[in-house]
Amino acid sequence: MSPYSDRQILAIEDDPLLSSHLSEHLKRQGFSVTLCRDGQQGLALACEERFELILLDVLLPHLDGLSLLSRLRCQRQVPVILISALGDEQARITGFSSGADDYLPKPFSMNELQVRIEAILRRIAYERRQPSHCHGNGLHFSDERSDVAYQGQWLGLTPTEYRLLETLSQHLGEVLSKAFLYQQVLRRGYAQHDRSLDMHASNIRRKLARLGSLPIRLEAVWGKGYLLSSLELS
Amino acid sequence: MPNRHSLFWKLAALLVTFFLLVISLSGAWMRHIDLESSYLSDEARHELRRYADQAEQAAHAGPLAVDAFLTQLKSQEHGWMAVLDNELQPLGTQGLDEELRQRLTALRLLDWPMSRRSRDLPLLKIPFADGQGHLLMQLPERHRPWRYRLLLNLLVQYLLPALLALVFCFGLYRVLIAPLARLREQANALRADQLHAPLDAKLARRKDELGELSHAFQHMAERLQQSVTQQRQLLRDLSHELRTPLSRLQVACETPLEALELRERVEREVNLMRTLVNSTLELAWLDAERPSLPLEPVSLSALWELLREDACFESGWSPERLPCLLPESCVVKGHLNALARALENILRNAIRHSPPNGRVCLGGQREGADWLIWIEDQGPGVPDSDLALIFQPFTRLCAERPGGDGFGLGLAIAQRMIQQQGGSLWAENRMLGLRLNIRLKTV
Repeated sequence: MSPYSDRQILAIEDDPLLSSHLSEHLKRQGFSVTLCRDGQQGLALACEERFELILLDVLLPHLDGLSLLSRLRCQRQVPVILISALGDEQARITGFSSGADDYLPKPFSMNELQVRIEAILRRIAYERRQPSHCHGNGLHFSDERSDVAYQGQWLGLTPTEYRLLETLSQHLGEVLSKAFLYQQVLRRGYAQHDRSLDMHASNIRRKLARLGSLPIRLEAVWGKGYLLSSLELS
Repeated sequence: MPNRHSLFWKLAALLVTFFLLVISLSGAWMRHIDLESSYLSDEARHELRRYADQAEQAAHAGPLAVDAFLTQLKSQEHGWMAVLDNELQPLGTQGLDEELRQRLTALRLLDWPMSRRSRDLPLLKIPFADGQGHLLMQLPERHRPWRYRLLLNLLVQYLLPALLALVFCFGLYRVLIAPLARLREQANALRADQLHAPLDAKLARRKDELGELSHAFQHMAERLQQSVTQQRQLLRDLSHELRTPLSRLQVACETPLEALELRERVEREVNLMRTLVNSTLELAWLDAERPSLPLEPVSLSALWELLREDACFESGWSPERLPCLLPESCVVKGHLNALARALENILRNAIRHSPPNGRVCLGGQREGADWLIWIEDQGPGVPDSDLALIFQPFTRLCAERPGGDGFGLGLAIAQRMIQQQGGSLWAENRMLGLRLNIRLKTV
């Protein structure tokens, strides 16, 4: 049984080839996909029905994606991934400022799309769940201080670094994709040349190394994301 | 205050000259006309002299002849007339009129200027040729002087300034409008896509506002030409570069291949094309928008660590071959993503041109308010003449390099990225390999 069964996705995309390809792929993943090729209709659909996620092309007939998005945002907070052939930085910034949760420049692979969709759905599931800290490896997470202590010594993390380490620690031993970490920790979409997350991870590593031998290790998994592994387990 | 070469001075000089000329010329000419027009005409003098001769003959013939002459003269002319000797006694038989006698003090000679103030015509004293008497006669109306004075004055007062104003206007036109017309011609040439039209030499030499305008104009034309050339070049290069993966794809389609192998090939070529298009778009964006990036403190050693990790994964190098010789304290003012992108491109390029087991190191030193940072490889370097060329898009110096890796966009993007952060990037040949220098502001 697929983890995404009965998840409703609305894809607003006017290229018939790409949209049928999209829908086929997403259906294979277990999503239930509604296709729409027109901006005006898409907006009506998005407002009427409850979707878990909307994939939105920027260039659409009748109503372009960005105006659609800002009109939709007046009514619904449903997550939206913008898809656009305009790949430059300016278009990305415009997309985010109109309220997109992520921005995917064309051309993209289905795997990439998959990762982004998972990241957003996972973030939403995360937000609904009560946070629970896992201890047991000697690390003490303090929400008040936004810091982590090991054997009474504080690491001296920044709030963002704390959020990153906390997110990773809740999925000990699991590779978290960059797309998800950007959504969850930095609250924005991931772009190919964005290095902020890497920089935060690198800072955490340096701070961990300062405390000497720790039972955890922050690892980069190339092309995928980050992993917090417990050395006692391995 | 306008500067030394300003048009203001030319205009001021023209205006001042114009007004001074008008005032002095018209004043002088008015005086001249007043004087000249107050003399009797030659014709008048001749005629009056003839009367005097007749009077002289009559005087020689006796008082009766003088009376006859006067009677005859009165029938021809109006006003007073008398023939007198040197003691102002009448030579005829009749005595002098009392009114005429009173006027004897205001006699005028023929070659004197006539007064304009007296309302009556002036009384003239014309001496005989032998000096033994005079003919006294009121000037006939038809010979009255000042006749054209009003007309001449009008001419001098209005026509002369009007003519001078025309000359002045011509000067103004030469100074102001003619250069503008030449600029307009140049603009028209631009409109007709003749971007190479040279700057008018005469206009270029000017140092005033119009000269500045023409230089600004020239600058604009150059920038336009540069960007048009760049665009055409970019388009041409991009199409050329796309041909390679496309032709490989075509071959793959036409060759009977296993599904898996075909897919692998297609994926490889699609990725190649995607990278190419993305890089070109990025370059075009950097060139066209010239975005200003928000700057923040960036620690270079931490950044190098990230890049090294990626580079080691991509190239299979060990981290020891990519040492960082910079101190931890090296923090520059930059934009993290842009700086990372620039360094990544430089590093990739350096690794690509390194010999087997070569090293690429990051070094630098503080220079005042700047950090001078360099990335040095041990490759063959670049001919000195091509040091600037490697930052041009789609430049590949060694076309024979197997694999055809890279499109020659990496360094072009890197340079623009560094420039957007207020820094500079240039290349330099070292004893061993190529060094790329980056100058960035320190925090």
